Formats: sequence, C-alpha cells, structure tokens
Amino acid sequence: MTLDWSIVWDSRWALLDGAALTVLLTVLTMLVALPGGLALALMRLSRFRILAVASACFVELFRNLPLILVVYWAFYVLPVLTGLELPAFATGLAALCLNVSAYNSETLRAGINSIRRGQMEAGMALGMSRGQALREIVLPQAGRRVLPVLASTWVSLFKDTSLVSVIAVGELAHTALQIRSQSFRVLEMLTALAAIYWLMGYPQAKLVDWIDRRFVVTE
Amino acid sequence: MELDFTPVLESWRYLLGGLGLTLLLSAVAALCSLAAGLLVGLGRTYGPAWLRVPLTFYIDSMRAIPVLVVLVWVYFAVPLLTGASFSPFWAALAALTVHLAAYVAEVVRAGLGSVRAGQVRAGLALGMSRAQVVRVVVLPQAVVRMLPAFGSVLSVTIKDTAIAAVIAVPELMRRSETVAGQSYHPIEVFTTAMAAYFLILFPTTRLVDALYGRVAHLGRS
Amino acid sequence: MMPGRTGSDAPPILAYEDVRKRYGGFTALKGVSLHVNKGEVVCLIGPSGSGKSTLLRCTNGLEMIDGGKIVFEGAPLPTTPAALGRVRRRMGMVFQSFELFPHKTALQNVAIGPVTVLGMDGAEAAARAMALLDKVGLQDKASSYPSNLSGGQQQRVAIARALAMEPDVMLFDEPTSALDPETVGEVLSVMKQLADEGMTMLVVTHEMGFARRVADWVVVFETGAVLEQGPPEQIFDAPTAARTREFLGHLGWSG
Repeated sequence: MTLDWSIVWDSRWALLDGAALTVLLTVLTMLVALPGGLALALMRLSRFRILAVASACFVELFRNLPLILVVYWAFYVLPVLTGLELPAFATGLAALCLNVSAYNSETLRAGINSIRRGQMEAGMALGMSRGQALREIVLPQAGRRVLPVLASTWVSLFKDTSLVSVIAVGELAHTALQIRSQSFRVLEMLTALAAIYWLMGYPQAKLVDWIDRRFVVTE
Repeated sequence: MELDFTPVLESWRYLLGGLGLTLLLSAVAALCSLAAGLLVGLGRTYGPAWLRVPLTFYIDSMRAIPVLVVLVWVYFAVPLLTGASFSPFWAALAALTVHLAAYVAEVVRAGLGSVRAGQVRAGLALGMSRAQVVRVVVLPQAVVRMLPAFGSVLSVTIKDTAIAAVIAVPELMRRSETVAGQSYHPIEVFTTAMAAYFLILFPTTRLVDALYGRVAHLGRS
Repeated sequence: MMPGRTGSDAPPILAYEDVRKRYGGFTALKGVSLHVNKGEVVCLIGPSGSGKSTLLRCTNGLEMIDGGKIVFEGAPLPTTPAALGRVRRRMGMVFQSFELFPHKTALQNVAIGPVTVLGMDGAEAAARAMALLDKVGLQDKASSYPSNLSGGQQQRVAIARALAMEPDVMLFDEPTSALDPETVGEVLSVMKQLADEGMTMLVVTHEMGFARRVADWVVVFETGAVLEQGPPEQIFDAPTAARTREFLGHLGWSG
C-alpha cells in the first residue's frame, strides 16, 4: 500500500474552509442556544403551568432524539413548514440550535435551582421585582456556577457539527469525505480529518478542564 | 401539509428489523464500553505513569474527535492498514466502544475521586491493602455514584448508533433513510423514526433515574 | 391602647389583626393580634416553630396570610407584586443567614437596593453606601467580598444594605442566631444604636438580654398564638402566664 500525503497539503484550503464552517456552525449555534436555553429554563420555572409544561415537553423531546435524525428531519420538514427554500446550512443549523437549546435549558435550570431561595428573598425584600432579582442576583451566580458544564456542552457541540455533513453542508467532515471520494486517498484523508479535529478539539478540551478547576464551587 | 403514512406501514417489517439491530448494537456497545471504560478508568486513576499517560492521551483525544469520524476511520481506514475487513456492524461496534469507553473512563475517574479520602484511610487503618480498599470500600460507593452517568451512557449509545447509518449499518436510522429515499415521503418516515427513538430513549433515562433514587443512599458517606 | 407604650397617641405604624397562616395541614399562625408604634422596638420571643418568623415573613409579603389583616402605615398590605415591591422599599429586612450577594463587594451589596430599585445614580448610591458602612463600622471592608468577611461583619453589612433604602421600619429575623458567640455582640450593638436613633424595629430573637434592655414591648409566642405581651419588665420580671415563666426558665433566664 502506498501512501501519498500530498493530497492533504494540496487540499489544505478546502479543508481550512471546512474547518472554518465547523467553527462558524458552533459559534452561531451557541449564540442562539444560550439565550434559547435561558428562555426555556425560565419558562420551566415560571408560575404559568402552560409555559412550564410546553418547555418541559420541548426539552424532553430533543434530549431523547438522536441529533442525526433531527438533522434529516429538519432538512425535510422545515422547508415545508415555513414554505421557504431553505439551504441545507440553515436547516442543519436549526437542528443544532434546537438540540443544544434543550441541553442548555437543563443546565441553566439546575444552576438557577442551586442558588438558595434566600438570595431571591433578600433581593425582593429590598423591593426588587422577581425579574430584577433574577437578573441582578440569581442569574449572575447561576451562570458562574454552570460555566464548566456550558463549556463542556460547547465541546460536544463542536463535535456534533460533523453530523450536518449528512445533508451535504460543507463543514470539515463533509469536505474531507468528498476529497476522499474524489481522490481515492482514503487512509490519508480520513487520518487528516481525525488529526484536524484533534488539533482543534484537544485545546478546547484542555480549556474546559481549566475552567472546571478555576470555577470549583466552594460553599 | 398532506401526510401519507402508507409507505411507512408497507415497510414496517423492514423498519422493525432496523429497530431490532439498533437495540442489539446499543446493548452490546454499551456493555463493551462500560467494561472497557471501567478498566481504562481504573488504569488512569491507579495505574503507573507509563500507563496513565497514554490512557489520558486516549481519553482526551476522544473528547476532541467526533464519533462520525471514528466510525468512518474504523470502517474505511483500518482494513487498509491491516488487510482485514469487517462488516459494518462490527466496525460500528468497535468504533462506538472506542469512543464511548473514553467517556465512561472519565465518569469512573470522577466517581472514584468523589469518595472521601477518609474512607480510604479508614480501610487502610483496618489493615486492608490498597487493592482491597479499592475493591471493598471505594468501588462499591463510587459505582453507586456513577450510576446516573452510566445511565446517560446508555442513552448516548443509543443515539450514537444512529450515526452508524453513515457506514451503512442496517439499523433504524439507515433503514429509515432508505425507505424515505424510495418512497418520496421523507417527512412521514423520519417522523415515525423520531417516535420510535423517543419511545426507546425516554423510558431508558427515566428508568435509570428511578433506579438511582432507590440505591443512592448506599453511596453517601 | 396599652398603657405605658411610647407614641401611643398616633396610629401604629404596623398592626396585625387576627392574622392566620396555614401550610397545608399545619397552622403556623392562629389569629395573632399585636401592633408596633413608630419609634418602638418590639421583640418577638418564643420557642422555635412558634410562628414568630412566619409573622415577620408575612409582614413584607414573602409569605401570604390566609386570614386577618396586616396594616402598614394605615393601608392594608397589598397582594400584587408591583404594589408589594413598593411597600418593601419602606421596610428593611435582615435575615438569619445574612443573604449577602456573594458576587458583589460589601459596598456593592449596600448600594444595590438604591441603584436597582430606586434608580439612584451610581456615584450617589456609592456615597450613601460608604456612609452606612462607616456607620456600622466597616468602612475599611467596602471592597471585600462576603466570603472574606466574618459572620458578624456580613450581618452588619446586611443591616447597612437594608438601611440604604431608608425604610420606615426594620424587620430582623433572628439576626444573631447563625453567629459565633464572639460576633453576636457587634451586631447587637449596631441594633441598639439604631434603636437609640429612633428606628422602628420588629425583632425576632433568642437574645433575651437584648430584649430586656432594648425592647419597648415584648410579645411571647407559642404554637402560633400570642401567649403574652407587655413591657419587658413585665415579661421578664413578672410574667402573668405560667408558660412564659417555663419558657424563660428553659432558656436559663434567671432575671
């Protein structure tokens, strides 16, 4: 078996583009899924039963489905539902957002619940409304507390973006697999694919470890 | 939106076969990952440096590389390297185990570390050897604490088997794709698949939560 | 009007008329009636679980009553969140567990009420906060975080935080129960200082010495009802109810 690694070097710009799209997908998803998760968490904790139940159903649904299936499903359903011609990127992004919002919602909810009720009461005793007390007192503390988990979710999301390759979104995995099919350099391209993910993902994983240590909760 | 579920109904046996394979692959992969992950976790926590370093590297690498990439690499690249070829099922099993065992190992490491040092000291003070302390005092308490995370390993495994569709393992996801492609009714087919996966996954996580509630007191110290 | 109570010619600032409160099957308050006049220090004493803290928490609407009336400055306590918020600005509450905000410095803790609730300018609020920290003796701890303060220091900051809203009445819910004995004194002397300055105070406490020396009126609770109420000389030296004598005896109170 002869190996020819030059294919990797020759395709470096395409691979770089793919990697950039991976990063873009990750960033865009988190930009939507953090406020989205917060909204869902607040709905779940609200006094209005209908909001709480709706949020709970949404979260349970997306936590109990394989993401790859949601990607396929979104690809076919969203254009029909919205009546728009949606590019694969949009439907893939939508699937990621739905999935990660559900996870973030659980993380944030646990964080909010972990803040002593007395903190909320102290804020309200000063005359703050529930909303003010949440914003000024509970959420800042809850956010700090769940930062390690959110960081971990980020890294999982980064890996999960590879799944939108199945609907031909040109992120890293799709790009590398395409080049493999076209060049028949299977081992080289697949190894390069793994290596590039490793190069991008390993530092992120180490950063998460650092965040874990730095934000250890002492109470 | 007009929905026509007849293609689904016509292929129900085919899809059910896929579901069966999903369950089989999930069960075997989960068991193998738990076993392998336990060994790796123990090695990572208690092993000598020459073992700890490569194991840590392996675990951290699996945190960086997606399951999809591992699946594709095992199925396509390993045969080129070794000359052996395997069916998609065995490739998927190997890939899923390699990826999940790393996650299990981290759960094990966290669980072992969460048992208070005082417990270890108490065991040693009674005259136990280090190995006995791990086996008799630490591991039983740690295992109880790890149960919720193990439960989620099962859940993650089932979801990851769907990714095995990309290397043509004939499980539910793959077969759903096939039926959707042939029938031109992807929405109905994928919605049915979603219902099937939800019906498997939802009780799984609930069951694990319930089991944990029963045994949690055994792990508190 | 009870004879001998200060300020008894003006209407009371806080009045409780037959207040009732239930938690499911358990009745925490069984028809409590008492009042607090402006400038008075009223101490609520009694065994744990007798309803004293519950009454306090109903006073600023952290809990809702099931029967009776609470009248504050001539008006019944509102039930809507917005109206309650406005009422709470005129009441200061100090909690047993201090409940300082851990992500803010002492100065920020004291200033947060005026800034967030009263919309005060940041610099003005900081100046007010500094003056109050000075008043409770903690001006040199202004930029410290609660985790770097002792319990007694934290509670003094909490008192300053409540005072920053310039309330008409201060509610204290067992302010010293969670403190080490060494630090209890520093908090009690701040409270005495406030009392001497004429602040209206409603204090739930186990500190009998404080109640004896500082209170104008003492209310003894037992199982959700008022057992006895009167001036401290009566309650501590010549109680009319035998159960009061028993309770004080259990606490080792020898007069």
